[in-house]
Amino acid sequence: MASVAIRGVEKRFGAAKIIRGVDLDINDHEFVVLVGPSGCGKSTLLRMIAGLETISSGTITIGDRLINDVAPQDRDIAMVFQSYALYPHMSVHDNIGFSLKLRKKSKAEIESSVMEAATILNLQDYLQRSPRQLSGGQRQRVAMGRALVRNAQVFLYDEPLSNLDAKLRVTMRTEIKALHQRLQTTSVYVTHDQIEAMTMADRIVVMNAGRVEQIGTPLELYDTPANLFVADFIGSPSMNFIPGVFERDGDKVVVVGRDGTRLPAPATTRATHSQNVVLGIRPEHLGLRSDGEGAAAVVEVVEPTGPNIEVFASLAGIRTCSILSQRHPFQPGQQIWLGAEMDQMHLFDAASGVRL
Amino acid sequence: MISKLKKTVIYWLLLAPLVIVILFPFAVMFVTAVRPREELFVYPPRWTFSQFRWDNFVDMWVKTNFGGALLNSLYVSVSATVLALLFSIPAAYALSRYRFPGKGLYRNFLLMTQMMSPIVLVLGLFRLMVAFGLVNNLNSLVITYAAFNMAFTIWMLQSYFNTIPRELEEAAWMDGASHYFSLVKIFLPLAVPAMVVTAIFTFINSWNEFVLALTMIRSNDDFTLPVMIFSQVAGRYQIEWHHVMAATVLATVPVAIVFSWLQRYLIRGMALGAVK
Repeated sequence: MASVAIRGVEKRFGAAKIIRGVDLDINDHEFVVLVGPSGCGKSTLLRMIAGLETISSGTITIGDRLINDVAPQDRDIAMVFQSYALYPHMSVHDNIGFSLKLRKKSKAEIESSVMEAATILNLQDYLQRSPRQLSGGQRQRVAMGRALVRNAQVFLYDEPLSNLDAKLRVTMRTEIKALHQRLQTTSVYVTHDQIEAMTMADRIVVMNAGRVEQIGTPLELYDTPANLFVADFIGSPSMNFIPGVFERDGDKVVVVGRDGTRLPAPATTRATHSQNVVLGIRPEHLGLRSDGEGAAAVVEVVEPTGPNIEVFASLAGIRTCSILSQRHPFQPGQQIWLGAEMDQMHLFDAASGVRL
Repeated sequence: MISKLKKTVIYWLLLAPLVIVILFPFAVMFVTAVRPREELFVYPPRWTFSQFRWDNFVDMWVKTNFGGALLNSLYVSVSATVLALLFSIPAAYALSRYRFPGKGLYRNFLLMTQMMSPIVLVLGLFRLMVAFGLVNNLNSLVITYAAFNMAFTIWMLQSYFNTIPRELEEAAWMDGASHYFSLVKIFLPLAVPAMVVTAIFTFINSWNEFVLALTMIRSNDDFTLPVMIFSQVAGRYQIEWHHVMAATVLATVPVAIVFSWLQRYLIRGMALGAVK
């Protein structure tokens, strides 16, 4: 097991820059998730760590070994692919044992390693089957097993759960996390699903358009997003954004919405009077207030999810979402009053998107 | 709703003309090959014959040096097939997996070569073989057949290689396999169906080729089967039609064997599911 250091890494295809100078340190035993919308470069970055894409500039080190020019087969990295990439003409046993066979391990050694991996992943009964006789979840586990027997320095996962149905995805998520807690192998996991990122990661790297937007623990990202992009990307349903003008009125600070609604804002020193800002409030923090307090909003749609109701209401001319745990019998068109605690409001610069 | 029986009858009726067109020459060939010599030209023509003459085959074999021609044809067709595959597999792999300048041009060039009939090139090819000193040498046919089939095999293999996920090879690399090893152990086993199909096509093309063989080969000993059979008809005072037909029947046998043997691999290979 080893740490991974990425320094100023770039990837260019002709004139197009896919990765624009990424710096990232992944500690030993850490589980880091790269997350971002499709096309943000997260998979490319992972493939560069794996050696499947060349590095245009910058360096990648694993442990204390510079691996820029090391072939993928010599990097001592195990990878789980999105499509699983199981060898269709080999049995499950041979799929898992392939890498050991390549390393010229003895038959007995291969046997015991394969059995051990199969036991961990509950695959003992399927060892003689071919991949096409397995269900999606089982194939996924075989792909995991193939990585597991390697005892590699780093595990890479390229969206390994995105081919599974929603229920299985949740189960496998937990299994992968449990496995990591047990084996403690340094892992880099790519997903576009922010919930997967939040639930599994020790640290999350949010990427966008080839750049790192923010690196932090899941809760850091959730509580203090560095910019509008991260604020929007992390959390489901995503954060409500109300654009407006920041005004200081003595001690009081307010954001004046486009329709003139005056909303209380967190007292930050970094915003200046009459600066264009965006006020961000997570749906779970935008709560109901008694009449006359907070800001007036008009109910548009109410969606019950079971434990909660999601109320979509027009607030300061913007459709906002609030998650309420009480089952209020709201009707469309009804006026309600909404508000949030000061420390749960986020303020961003409208032009740059940076947190204020 | 049309009943199943009705459907079957209609399909068979629709297909019948085609079946007749295909089978008629075979039927004529066969009944001519096995009837006694004196019943060859009876009027009106009959399908039936008085005696089933296997001896025709034996006589023909001895008289026409059929064995030699068969061996020549086998040598030429098998060698041309192997040679074509040997060169097309790396070419198709490169076309499928690598980006290189002139790739589109090269693909178009391959396609263009297919638009030209070998007959228009026959003179040039002959002069080339004269220069190589390969006239009246079976290897001249091996080279030309392999070359003429290569465009098709490369094209065919490439489109199949494209369907084999790159990730399978990448997974093998990550598992520690070298490029060569992953090619041999992972990629090629999955490409077997395409290789079988192209092998069948190349073999049959080479087996049946006539014009080049007629041009390049001079001596009776080096004749391939089509030229040998032709030589039984052309420039003779007396044509032994029953021998010609017996030879033709035998000449179709290896092709039938190759096809029926390889088609099992074809179907088995097709059933291989790669990634999800």
